[in-house]
Amino acid sequence: MQDFDVIVVGGGHAGVEAALAVARMGKRAGLVSMDAGKLALMSCNPAIGGIGKSQLVKEIDALGGLMGEAIDATGIQFRRLNLSRGPAVWSTRVQADRIGYNQYVVDRLEHHQNIEVVEGTVVAVSVESGKACGVVLENGEPLSSKAVVIASGTFLGGLIHIGEKQIRAGRMGEKAATELSENLSGLGFEVGRLKTGTPPRLDGDSIDWSKCERQEGEEPLPLFSYRSTRELFKQTPCHLTRTTEKTRAKVSANFEKSPIFSGQIKSTGPRYCPSIEDKFYRFKDKPSHQIFLEPEGNGTNEIYPNGFATALPEDVQREAIHTVTGLEEAVITQPGYAIEYDYCPAYQVDRSLETRVVKQLYFAGQINGTSGYEEAAALGLMAGVNAVLAIEGEPAFRLDRSQAYIGVMIDDLTTRSTTEPYRMFTSRAEYRLALREDNARDRLAGYAHQYGLISQSEFEIFQDMILNTENEVKKLRSTRVKVSRLTDLKVKITKKDKVSLADILKQPGIVLADILPLLNEFDSMFSEDREVLSRAAIQIRYQGYIDKQEREIQKFRKQEAVLIPSDFSYTDILGLKTEAREKLSRFRPGTLGQATRIEGVTAGDLAVLAVNLKRHNAKSGQ
Amino acid sequence: MRHGHVVSGSGKVIDETLAVFMPAGRSYTGLDQAEIYCHGGHQVVRTILDLIIKSGARPAEPGEFTKLAFLSGRIDLSKAEAVGELIAASTEASYEASREHLVGEYSEYVGSLRERLVSILAEIEASIDFADDEADTIDPRHLNKTLDEITGRIDQLVATYEGGRIIREGYRVAIGGRPNAGKSSLFNALLKQERALVDHEAGTTRDYLSEWVDLDGYAVNLIDTAGVRGEGSQVEKAGQARSRELVAKADLVLWLADVTMPDWQDRSAADIRDLEYCDILLVGNKIDLVANSGLVCPDETCLISCLTRDGLNKLRGLIFEYINDSTRNMISGQIVTSARHRNCLELAGRALEQTKLAVNNGESSEVLAFEIRRAVEALAEITGQIYTEDILEEIFSRFCIGK
Repeated sequence: MQDFDVIVVGGGHAGVEAALAVARMGKRAGLVSMDAGKLALMSCNPAIGGIGKSQLVKEIDALGGLMGEAIDATGIQFRRLNLSRGPAVWSTRVQADRIGYNQYVVDRLEHHQNIEVVEGTVVAVSVESGKACGVVLENGEPLSSKAVVIASGTFLGGLIHIGEKQIRAGRMGEKAATELSENLSGLGFEVGRLKTGTPPRLDGDSIDWSKCERQEGEEPLPLFSYRSTRELFKQTPCHLTRTTEKTRAKVSANFEKSPIFSGQIKSTGPRYCPSIEDKFYRFKDKPSHQIFLEPEGNGTNEIYPNGFATALPEDVQREAIHTVTGLEEAVITQPGYAIEYDYCPAYQVDRSLETRVVKQLYFAGQINGTSGYEEAAALGLMAGVNAVLAIEGEPAFRLDRSQAYIGVMIDDLTTRSTTEPYRMFTSRAEYRLALREDNARDRLAGYAHQYGLISQSEFEIFQDMILNTENEVKKLRSTRVKVSRLTDLKVKITKKDKVSLADILKQPGIVLADILPLLNEFDSMFSEDREVLSRAAIQIRYQGYIDKQEREIQKFRKQEAVLIPSDFSYTDILGLKTEAREKLSRFRPGTLGQATRIEGVTAGDLAVLAVNLKRHNAKSGQ
Repeated sequence: MRHGHVVSGSGKVIDETLAVFMPAGRSYTGLDQAEIYCHGGHQVVRTILDLIIKSGARPAEPGEFTKLAFLSGRIDLSKAEAVGELIAASTEASYEASREHLVGEYSEYVGSLRERLVSILAEIEASIDFADDEADTIDPRHLNKTLDEITGRIDQLVATYEGGRIIREGYRVAIGGRPNAGKSSLFNALLKQERALVDHEAGTTRDYLSEWVDLDGYAVNLIDTAGVRGEGSQVEKAGQARSRELVAKADLVLWLADVTMPDWQDRSAADIRDLEYCDILLVGNKIDLVANSGLVCPDETCLISCLTRDGLNKLRGLIFEYINDSTRNMISGQIVTSARHRNCLELAGRALEQTKLAVNNGESSEVLAFEIRRAVEALAEITGQIYTEDILEEIFSRFCIGK
């Protein structure tokens, strides 16, 4: 029988990061996938990053994860979104060469000495005295381990819908994992159902590109990873087109044929990623919707029409696609579909992603109710790290809302009921100005180093960068220039005589590039390293706001520091309202702060809880 | 409800009463609770209470019942605060304010301001989180207009706090003036005319006289600074200091002058010059002793005679007008009575001022969102928790978003 430290079930974005984290921490990971060649496939849109998600990728990268490197190496169009806004919400989005990305990841895993990819389907988790100790494959073969991470994606009880047609599958053309889902129910997990969807794929040769708007990538390429080798794929543009009045008529006439409206699909899909029928249904006044035509890669003509997810019958899909400008003759190479899958509402895991029912069993990715490659990868990484820490008897690695988007996500998942697949948005982060792409390493490199997720040399290089950045900040603050010399600046400075470079950088609309000519006048006084300078500029820009938020952050951390024992009983607390009692018993918040974020728990309940916690902790302290 | 008698240890019947027992879980405090209904009258109540205490009970601390109700989850924080005020409220107007607070009219109003801010925030957040979608861009003029309006409402609410305090704690009227102006006579005359709310407890524990009267529904705390006047220079000095303190704390000072004294007008003008920071009403006393025709007085002097009670009704009307002035800027039902709430509102107001500044400076949207969020959170401290989900909810309901 094969023996591993950690078995990871599923080879998607969560599974891959989980296995890699385990391996980096010096443990042996067994990654079980139905098809060893299909690791880290992009089942939906061929892109990594985007607003809120890019911040997650930067954090994954800061914690030694692979996603950033993989997309840098195989990206075919790089852009930063939100450049007209401030750097806190600048978000990188990269179109991927789908096959290239997949091959890059397969290659990296194959060559890792601590990872073994096992081809097979997991039908059960082996549990001994409340602890996960391995899995059983479909062919009856058992694999043993000290911890198990489940990252099953849409495969868990996957059911594809195209019109009235239903296919049991985890992804188009690949079988679903049905037994595992039953096994989890049997172990005592509540299993729920979610829905997501994907558009049809088109043959690029059949598209009239002249009717579409070309969208170029950004130069120089805004890379994700600090470790990128810069061995890059050829860059390719995207295109933009729109649906027409005919599309609206066609789709509206066929609402009842969509399983989303017919009642065939009962689970909820994401509101931020609606199908085309949903868009026309809910926003009847909007005559047209934009469609992004994204290339699936350099070696393929396949095009992903982003914005046209649908579960309409194939013939309706075809007719509707043909009403879109430029797609009049488009050939569909794979129909769009909706897919329903099983997930385990995340109140069943604690903040380390370990399940409450079975110790040393971890859930990562869509099984927690998330959607998106980036969300999955981040959860996979955290689950992998925590599985190793648990094996070693070390306390879990937890990030809070003030430290990382990862912290925001896990906190949201473990304190809120899932009503739709969870996607990251920057507006979910109340400390958004402090959680940026540019400072992901400042926030996380210490942990990465502590847990052995990055090398000593990488850590030392970064320490130097922190020092250099601080130096530049000081210099920018102390260097003053005459306002009369700033005539070229696009923003007018109202101060009279002299102004510091830092004050200029604080002006809205001013970015580092605007003052670079000015810096050059100070004969090599400032760093040559653009990244260092840019980090310094962004720090200066937001420092005032971050200081302003300090009081709230302190208040937040104080509440987070009040721990609630995992066996704390809510049933005997006099004064909790029934709803609060139920919700608290279900979500089992790890801290008083977490309790404040559970819906239905009022200020009064919290006061009662706080008093009782004090009493409880005083008793157990004696 | 049971009917029976309260009987003393020696078997003497004290009163014929009704009593109600409320078992734990169904009472206000969540604990076993009983209520006794006895006949009115100070003496009966006193005797029954004494008897109960002698049998082992203790009087509740101020607010203890509310605290128990709060701890047992019967009421939430904002209700607890309102109940506290309800108990403290001694007259009709205060009762009204507390009651409306309790049923949540005020809470709803603050909530509606918060909702409007959330709606603006949603628009800004949509422009950030869905930059690739076709979310509308924000028109700074429209934004400023809305912000102005909401800040105006918040300022209005903050301004009601002073009025709210008057309603909750009562309106303080101090009677000041030189010796022998008739301060005590006026004090007693006003007391006689109005219904005294509390038994007279002169001189025993306090070194000044203070009484509560109900003036057309407002609790008025009448303070006779004459009570601080003592014999001997040392005592007198201390007394004067105290007197000044009392006068300074008053909402209104009735400065009493003896119209039979020569130059009383000039002397009074000099006396009250130092008191400019509070409302002052000059009251000329002893008009029964001078010929009406020969009386020259400064504008807005109220002339009275404590002896004949001449002009007392007019004085009473004037005090009422002063109270009304102080509570005028209150929107009905929306009175800020808690200092905590006022602080939250002020915080929100400041954050919105910052937002306007940022809009005018052309700041980018994440900074606008930062400031508005601070305002929303400050208001949420009054009404309850804020969830980022609220903002997303709003975004999804209003904008067609997602590729």
